[in-house]
Amino acid sequence: MMLTGLPLGTLLAIFGGAAAFTVVLYVLRLRRRPVAVPFAPLWHSVLGDRDASRLFSRLRRWLSLLLQLVLLALLAFALGDPRPTGSLGSGRNVVLLIDASASMQATDEKPTRLEAAKAKARELVQGLGGSDRALVVQMGDVPVPLSTLSDSPSELLQAIARVKASDTRARLGRALELAGDALRGAGRGEIVVLSDGALPEPSPPPDLGGARLSFVPVGKSGKNLAITAFSVRRYPLDKSRLEVLAEIANTSTERAEVELSLWGDGAIIDSERLHVEPGARLSRFFSDVGGTRRGLEARLRYADGTRDDLPADDRAYALVPERRRARVLVVTPGNTYLEAALLLDEYLDVTDVKPSAYPPPGRFDATIFDGVAPPPARDSGGLIYLNPPAQGSPVKVGKAISEFGFDTWDRKSRVLRFAALGDVQVAAGHAFEPQRDDKVLGASDDGPIMVAGTRSSRPFIALGFDPRQSDLVLRPAWPLLVLNAIDSFSETDASYLSAYRTGEVWRVPVQEGAREAELTLPDGTRRPVPVQDGRAVTFGERAGVYKLATGAEETRLVTEFAANLADPDESQILPHKTLSVAGKVAPPPEPGGGGVRRELWLLLVAVALCLSLVEWFTYHRRITV
Amino acid sequence: MGILELFQRKKTPRGEATRVELFDDEFQRKLEMLALVSRRVFTGRLRAERRSKKKGSGVEFADHRDYVPGDDIRSIDWNVYRRFGRLLVRLYEEEEDLSIYFLLDCSASMGFGGGQKFDQARRLVAALAYVGLANLDRVTIVGVNDGVPERLPTTRGKGRIFTVFRFLEKLRPGGPTDLGEALRSFAAQHKRRGLAVLVSDFYDPAGFEHGINVLRFEGFEPYVIHLVDEREAAPPLDGDLLLVDCETGDEREVTVTPAVLTRLKTAFADYRSNIEQYCTGKHVPYLAADVSTPFDEIVLRALRRGGFLK
Repeated sequence: MMLTGLPLGTLLAIFGGAAAFTVVLYVLRLRRRPVAVPFAPLWHSVLGDRDASRLFSRLRRWLSLLLQLVLLALLAFALGDPRPTGSLGSGRNVVLLIDASASMQATDEKPTRLEAAKAKARELVQGLGGSDRALVVQMGDVPVPLSTLSDSPSELLQAIARVKASDTRARLGRALELAGDALRGAGRGEIVVLSDGALPEPSPPPDLGGARLSFVPVGKSGKNLAITAFSVRRYPLDKSRLEVLAEIANTSTERAEVELSLWGDGAIIDSERLHVEPGARLSRFFSDVGGTRRGLEARLRYADGTRDDLPADDRAYALVPERRRARVLVVTPGNTYLEAALLLDEYLDVTDVKPSAYPPPGRFDATIFDGVAPPPARDSGGLIYLNPPAQGSPVKVGKAISEFGFDTWDRKSRVLRFAALGDVQVAAGHAFEPQRDDKVLGASDDGPIMVAGTRSSRPFIALGFDPRQSDLVLRPAWPLLVLNAIDSFSETDASYLSAYRTGEVWRVPVQEGAREAELTLPDGTRRPVPVQDGRAVTFGERAGVYKLATGAEETRLVTEFAANLADPDESQILPHKTLSVAGKVAPPPEPGGGGVRRELWLLLVAVALCLSLVEWFTYHRRITV
Repeated sequence: MGILELFQRKKTPRGEATRVELFDDEFQRKLEMLALVSRRVFTGRLRAERRSKKKGSGVEFADHRDYVPGDDIRSIDWNVYRRFGRLLVRLYEEEEDLSIYFLLDCSASMGFGGGQKFDQARRLVAALAYVGLANLDRVTIVGVNDGVPERLPTTRGKGRIFTVFRFLEKLRPGGPTDLGEALRSFAAQHKRRGLAVLVSDFYDPAGFEHGINVLRFEGFEPYVIHLVDEREAAPPLDGDLLLVDCETGDEREVTVTPAVLTRLKTAFADYRSNIEQYCTGKHVPYLAADVSTPFDEIVLRALRRGGFLK
């Protein structure tokens, strides 16, 4: 017998104190309640020689005291949580990995696969042997232990009840690593995976620490349609119009006629019926979408109105980037091509000044210096230099070059996006000598001719030639280059991220200077999120529209962003009846030890309760008083 | 009357408030009814006439005796003299008012349990006194305990009933019971014998029979009204208690159990039965008056049973 609760010394102290207190209460003379009677001789005739304090009565009181002391001893012993020595260490150690990925929200099992998995987990817990212990882990993108390695069924059942589905994928490898670590050295370890089997096989195979892996399959069918991609962007040269991409997939085994509808700001914009072959994906562009200010939503359903088994991927959300009028200052003696390029964007407020009039009053998002490079004013915003002179140029102007072009350019740069620069011919210009942190956006064989960087915390883009000395101004790349550069400074990026993907760490840009932010989830719950390097960092678990608030109450700025499941693997909900890890098929879990629990404290408390009932009965029947 | 006056509580002297409770209009109406009933019960008898054992100047012949000088010669039976030659005087049964003494136990036990026994006793005394007064009897009320007895002087005529009310209202229960001593004192103070109605719960540590015997031996005609409160036989007690006698202050530790309560109930019934048997054995009219029984019902029972009015 071993005490796994309070140590023996503490138990003796508790019992001694309680017993002494009880004895004192019994030794103290019973204070009887005085009651007036009209004629005491009547009571005398009734009571005769009976005396409440005679020896026999005292003995009965001592019997009651003895009963109380036994009661105390039992309770004190129960506090020690005694266990038979043989039962310790001989039980199983089980880790229950409950799949909480998006596919577990499928409704082919009623009410959901997750609830079915939780029910099976509860059965496993109730079937644990007396000396078995278990750990409940929620298996999502990140495995989350919800209990300790405990032998308490109530704790384990509560942990199972706390398992919640998320709109992420389940990563079996991480969960198995956690389970293996938890069971390392515990002996008789078993890892039970409760899942629909839509799990990528971990590579490399995790070390399970010798634990046995078993699998409990969940799920019946896999009838599902999914929106696997959904994004929106503004047309670069007409930002009032939108282009929307939706990709749908049919993960079931039958051909499906589906209805894909596009909603904007709560009203339907477009709808289309499509035929999708089993296992196929289909992309659909909604071009020239207008009239929507903020939110876009795609909805997918069967054309006959029936629902599939996983509603979570039948909707997708995207938010259109907000448009703000950018203030642009052009410092030029006169440049028709530049003015023409700026006229293409109606959302620009352009101010022209002669170089001699610089700087004018006001704040600007971007300033274009055409052939000049005066010291930039404080509120000039981002700086664009066209053929800057050596004096005042942010980047050192090198040798003069002639008859060159863009031999290389950064195609991923947002400034040069959509711009075809391969055929541009330039008559004359200069090569730059950029600093280490500068970024070369374009270069000829003779050296860098387009450089981006930062000077005194102010971004700049410098072009090493006068555009009028080239055919660039005659090409579509010219206005694209100018407008992209302005957009990059005014943060109205045409490639604005319209939706995030769940199951990833999101880094959402926030107001400059914000140190913390409050995130409102799609279900309305709020939680603070940290801000690092000007971006709020959080792990995305649920699809839907989020709100991110920064700043104080008076100057609070709320931005919205959307998140979608957009995971073809999770939309593949066809259940798997087996689970293979490292080439081995996981068998069903080992049956439990019959549910006989060897917790003696329960028995002790039960005996104490029975004794208490006996004491109560004998007291009220006037046997022990 | 203003509207506020409707809600004003009328201030009345404490005594009047008590009279409203004890002897209200309803009570007085019942008294009238009882007086009428008493007349029907004694139909054929002369009103206000009671034959006494004393021979005197009544109208109904009783006996003869020898003439002695000084006798009224008008009472000589001349027919007897003519036939037997002896001077005999006619004797008649003397008609006199009946004296009724109400002896009300005013010990503390009568006020036990909210004083219902004492209130019932006072109502009974008031009602019987009214019947007596209505029949032109001489009514005397004495409140007895171990101290100096409270006494309402002899009175008659039903117009005096309010005096009776006022007297009864002033009585308060208190002190121990010693009926023997108290009634011995009463007998010494009242030479005129008559009906002595003893109203008590007979919780006398010296024994209930002492008081009755004093009345018997002193020549009174005792009439026992035993106040009974059945709740005293089954008190709502349980557990370890210290019993205190409300009169003597005697204490007794006791653990009350259902068995003890059962025995108490039996003892209570035995005690009551003993009093009744004793009275029956001594030809003393006995009437048990339960506090839960309306007083007029008890009075009617007393009248129908007889012994109260000759």
